[in-house]
Amino acid sequence: MSEEQPRSVEVHIPSELGYEKIAMEAAAAAAKRMGFSPDRIADLKTAVAEACINSIEHGNKLDATTKVVVVLTVEPARLQVNVADEGLEPFPSEPVEPGHPPDNRGWGMFLIRQLMDEVEFSTESERGNQVRMVIYLDKQ
Amino acid sequence: MPEELKASVRRRSNLAVIQFSGDVTTFAEDVARDAYREATRDGGRNLALDFSLCEYINSAGIAVIIGLVTEARRQDRRVLAFGLSSHYQKIFRMVGLADYVEMCASEEEALAHINPEA
Repeated sequence: MSEEQPRSVEVHIPSELGYEKIAMEAAAAAAKRMGFSPDRIADLKTAVAEACINSIEHGNKLDATTKVVVVLTVEPARLQVNVADEGLEPFPSEPVEPGHPPDNRGWGMFLIRQLMDEVEFSTESERGNQVRMVIYLDKQ
Repeated sequence: MPEELKASVRRRSNLAVIQFSGDVTTFAEDVARDAYREATRDGGRNLALDFSLCEYINSAGIAVIIGLVTEARRQDRRVLAFGLSSHYQKIFRMVGLADYVEMCASEEEALAHINPEA
């Protein structure tokens, strides 16, 4: 199968803690197929899990009737992961640094920023919270 | 869905070892607190955290570990950790935990750290 055209995989998980592990394993499978190193796959798994946990806990307020949607877009040189929830509460704007303990959400956002090559957090009135994360094959 | 965390405590010489097994997440708090209480019951000053049976540690779990380490240091205890994958060693460094926890490759290395003359 040619990898020239982007391929997308969409995973829907209920807003219940623990289901983030399904999203992280799906992301890991895509990254492994693309040839990412085990270290980068471990980074990706943590980032995807943290984005999903933020969506489950803070976006969707642990309401199991709501969904978190994870879209993996496989491109020749990079993997993009979008995590979206139904919440409208904006992301905290203050960056977190070691030595200044944040709440769990803060640690999650901190880790995502540290581990991924590109990260964007956004909140839109009709689309809820979105996290866009990218890792590149040439930044192993 | 989460693999429930369990903890057991064993003693090796002057080192109390808490072995965690399962996922270290927001649900770990009670297990970690009870294990800490058991591990420090005899007043020992050296505590090692064994993560060799933990495959998944998330930010909420890290917050639980930070709480445990903070309590140990407040009581003037020395905290070591072993069994962490290279990825989670990196995470511990990123969040600053490695400044307060001595990272060791194994239980034997942890013992050697606290008993350098042995």
